[in-house]
Amino acid sequence: MDEVKIAAEADLTRINEIVAEYSEEKWALIPLLQRIQNEVGYIPPQSVPIIASAVGLFPSQVQGVISFYAQLYTEPRGRNVIRVCRGTACHVRGGKTILKLVKQHVGLEEGETTPDLEYTLETVACIGVCALAPNIVVGDRVYGHMNPKKVEQLFKKSGG
Amino acid sequence: MQTVTITLDGREVSGYPGMTILELARESGVNIPTLCHDPHLTPIGACRVCLVEDERTGAMLASCVAPIAAGMVINTNSSRVMDHRKNIVKLMLSSHPDSCLVCDKGNRCELRQIAADMGIGLVEFQRIPQMATIQEVNPFLERDLSKCILCAKCIRACQELVVEGAIDYFQRGFGTRPATWNNVPLENSECTFCGTCVALCPTGALTEREKLYRGTTKTTVETTCPFCGCGCSICLEVKDDYVVRVTPAKDSPVNKGTLCVKGSYGCDFIHSQDRLTKPLVKYNGNFEAVSWEEALGLVAARFKKIKGEYGSSSLAVLGSSKCTNEENYLLQRFARCVLGTNNVDNGSRLYSSASRVGLGSSIGFSGTTNDLDDLEQSEVIMVIGADPVSSAPAAGYAIKRAAKYKGAKLILIDPRRTKLASFAQLWLRPKVGTDVALMNGLAKVILDEGLLDEESIARRTDNFEAFCRNLEMYSLEYVKEITGVPTEEIAMAARLYAKASRAAIVYGTGITQYMTGTEGVKALANLALLTGNSRHGGGGIYALQRENNAQGACDMGTLPDFLPRYQRVADSGARRKFEQRWGVSLPGDRGLTALEIVEQAREGKIKGVYIVGENPALSFPDSGLIAEILASLDFLVVQDMFLTETARLANVVLPAASFAEKEGTFTNFEGRVQKVRKAIEPLGESLPDGEIILRLAERMGAPMPYSSPQQVMEELDELVPLREDVGYAESERRRSIYGGQLLKDFARFCPVEYVPQARTNGDYPFTLLTGVTLFHLGTGSRTSRASRLRKFSSQAFVEIGEFDAEKLGVNHGDKVKVISPVAELTSAVTITDTLPQGTVFMPLSFPDNPVTRLFSISLDPEAKTPSLKACHVRIERIEPNG
Repeated sequence: MDEVKIAAEADLTRINEIVAEYSEEKWALIPLLQRIQNEVGYIPPQSVPIIASAVGLFPSQVQGVISFYAQLYTEPRGRNVIRVCRGTACHVRGGKTILKLVKQHVGLEEGETTPDLEYTLETVACIGVCALAPNIVVGDRVYGHMNPKKVEQLFKKSGG
Repeated sequence: MQTVTITLDGREVSGYPGMTILELARESGVNIPTLCHDPHLTPIGACRVCLVEDERTGAMLASCVAPIAAGMVINTNSSRVMDHRKNIVKLMLSSHPDSCLVCDKGNRCELRQIAADMGIGLVEFQRIPQMATIQEVNPFLERDLSKCILCAKCIRACQELVVEGAIDYFQRGFGTRPATWNNVPLENSECTFCGTCVALCPTGALTEREKLYRGTTKTTVETTCPFCGCGCSICLEVKDDYVVRVTPAKDSPVNKGTLCVKGSYGCDFIHSQDRLTKPLVKYNGNFEAVSWEEALGLVAARFKKIKGEYGSSSLAVLGSSKCTNEENYLLQRFARCVLGTNNVDNGSRLYSSASRVGLGSSIGFSGTTNDLDDLEQSEVIMVIGADPVSSAPAAGYAIKRAAKYKGAKLILIDPRRTKLASFAQLWLRPKVGTDVALMNGLAKVILDEGLLDEESIARRTDNFEAFCRNLEMYSLEYVKEITGVPTEEIAMAARLYAKASRAAIVYGTGITQYMTGTEGVKALANLALLTGNSRHGGGGIYALQRENNAQGACDMGTLPDFLPRYQRVADSGARRKFEQRWGVSLPGDRGLTALEIVEQAREGKIKGVYIVGENPALSFPDSGLIAEILASLDFLVVQDMFLTETARLANVVLPAASFAEKEGTFTNFEGRVQKVRKAIEPLGESLPDGEIILRLAERMGAPMPYSSPQQVMEELDELVPLREDVGYAESERRRSIYGGQLLKDFARFCPVEYVPQARTNGDYPFTLLTGVTLFHLGTGSRTSRASRLRKFSSQAFVEIGEFDAEKLGVNHGDKVKVISPVAELTSAVTITDTLPQGTVFMPLSFPDNPVTRLFSISLDPEAKTPSLKACHVRIERIEPNG
């Protein structure tokens, strides 16, 4: 618990530094949010008032922007974000089962993150490589032609 | 001026560039329905109901955001437009519950109205799931987001008008809704429950909680709010002689469709069970209800007897900064003509006399120089010794709007971190009571750096040399030593203020309620004179008033040294005008001020006192002692709506009617004279204050022949015509030249000296600051009887800084004793991070915990205002079992 706390405080310190660079620039809200997310991995809710006062907005307004964009997160995300494709091609080729198996392997439901921050599980509508269906993406890497065995191997390997 | 001509429904109409189609249509008498549009809010084209069609291009335009362009051919009700509009409304209805039958909004719902107007019956679209109701416990507002149409009127009102920003859109798609930060209930958010959003909501999504009536009333009366000095226009909705709802008046130049929690939800004191409905006379220590005949007969006889035995100067009248102008005029005439004394004063003595005296002798007006619109247009606003967000919300909104949206730079000078701090460009935190030194320091910087307005000084002021000489010692270092403000901050504030072409000063009781209040006001006026900011049309000085008619009570001469409109009683010429009209000879000696009346009563020189709508047993310093003195008077008459702490001490209590039960005018802090209109009949046998005064005068054998409030004002206009040259063309704002001291548009520098205040010491190590909270006013005699205000905020508290709390070993919610040399109180602790070390804060207006009790009586030598802002105290922890 303490480690989490210390980590959160370190994040806030870093966020304060980032925010200082953007002070009084109302246009900068989205770039600022993106940068915080890139560096810290998510936008901690406690940082919203700090961001808001720097760009001259109300906290409720900043929250409005964050909650509008799917790309912005208010909770910590895993080091490896798993995106299971639910596009038509993947669906036809068993994507649903793949998703079920991934859920079992990492012990997560959609949108959840493991307590050790190793994995976050998400689904996407299509990643555009239907030829390789069914697909999953872990981090920036695409894994095509997935089957139960490959799923097992994949999460054994990177899960340690 | 350039005009743009368009064809609107087959008719050629012209507007100015930048005007929207909707604006031009409304101006031309063409009705386009809207849901998300309000003239006070930025148009956003959210609801699309105002769609119109441009025949040339076939484009469908949201008329509320589409500007007119030359040659446009606009149809507002072609069949194509109507089809689209119907579909849009149907889509809204498809995600709206079918609860119209039981919805509180009833036929005030704009969505229902528009649907009905367009003949929309059943909606064939598939239903869209709705938001759930939000569970909240505050007694003011109810949110049922299933009825929300996402017009964002509430969001824009909160951000643009009230500038609180408590809510904004949250999430996207079907999940979108207005939400607080972290989606918490309103009571845990920044929401101040001002009710502005409720007044604007077109549907039943936002409604009043704990309402008195659910339907629509037949009668709505526009009148003026009876609480603070802002003078917002309010609409009283009346059902069966009962005020069931209060809404902001949309067109008021003061509040512009906004209100605060007191105005919106505090007026139910009108129908409080505690209202007095019969005159009371104390026999053997117990009040008995009697007839008006008996009560007035007794009062008349006793006043006559005292006058006969001890002379007129043994009688005194304390009038009311809450009563109307006309009533104050009658009251001072009653004191002067019937009782024959100038011992007449009003409650504003406690908080704003320093403004009257200080500004009167420097700029020649008795108060605020400019109006709220000017304030909002200022480039720099310096707020000192005031927390307008709590004490004068409409002014607070204007300042926040200026700072947030109009580029005004805000300089906040306050030891406490008030809500304005987050809007401030510069926040100076001087030690308590050192404002005079700080102002002199600013003036010195302006002088030294040559930032003064020489032309204005040369043409419109005198006494400049003496002023400069006096400033010599106020070097930055010296001022820093006194005030604790870093030298660079002092210099920055001075430059910021002086370099702006329009800089305003806003101040309140944090200046006027010190023993050196008058000096403080003069120091501020000097700054304005030095930079040419004292005149109307640019910058200005804004003296906030605590109560609705503080300005008016003084203007009407409820003062010991002035007749109406600041005609000096010592001036025999001025007296003669009134004497001729009234047919009596008037006393020419200056009378006693409020606190002097009590002092003289203590010495037995004052025998009989008539108190109208004031509550000195709570509002005066050392109020415990004051109550004893009042109780020991030969004869005390109190006229009030309630059996206040003061009324309980009286021999006779006369039941007065509330503001909703009478006609007249209030003058707000800007000097705007505004109508008070009767909405309901007086409760029980209560009577308007003016009527009681007239009846009493008649019983005393000196009738005052007025049959209406208008007659009173006409007489005054005849006797002391308002001078054209006071600079205000609008008839609404009327300002009298103060005491005839200064010529038109002329002002005088008043050198002021910083006088060190007593320091805290070992026995009393804390400085206690007092102030108002948003939810209560005055002594709380009205707000503590407003059920929702009482429910939400019923307990006084003492705010202690984190560091001091730790040192004292107290936690949030602990009970402590607050002990001054005069008295002690018990209060619960609130830990805060808004106070400097060694300073604690207690709110006024909690009748069960009157903080005024802690103060000793010490008066400003000029204004005779008692010091009620800061004193020294000791805090003792109460052991839970001790």
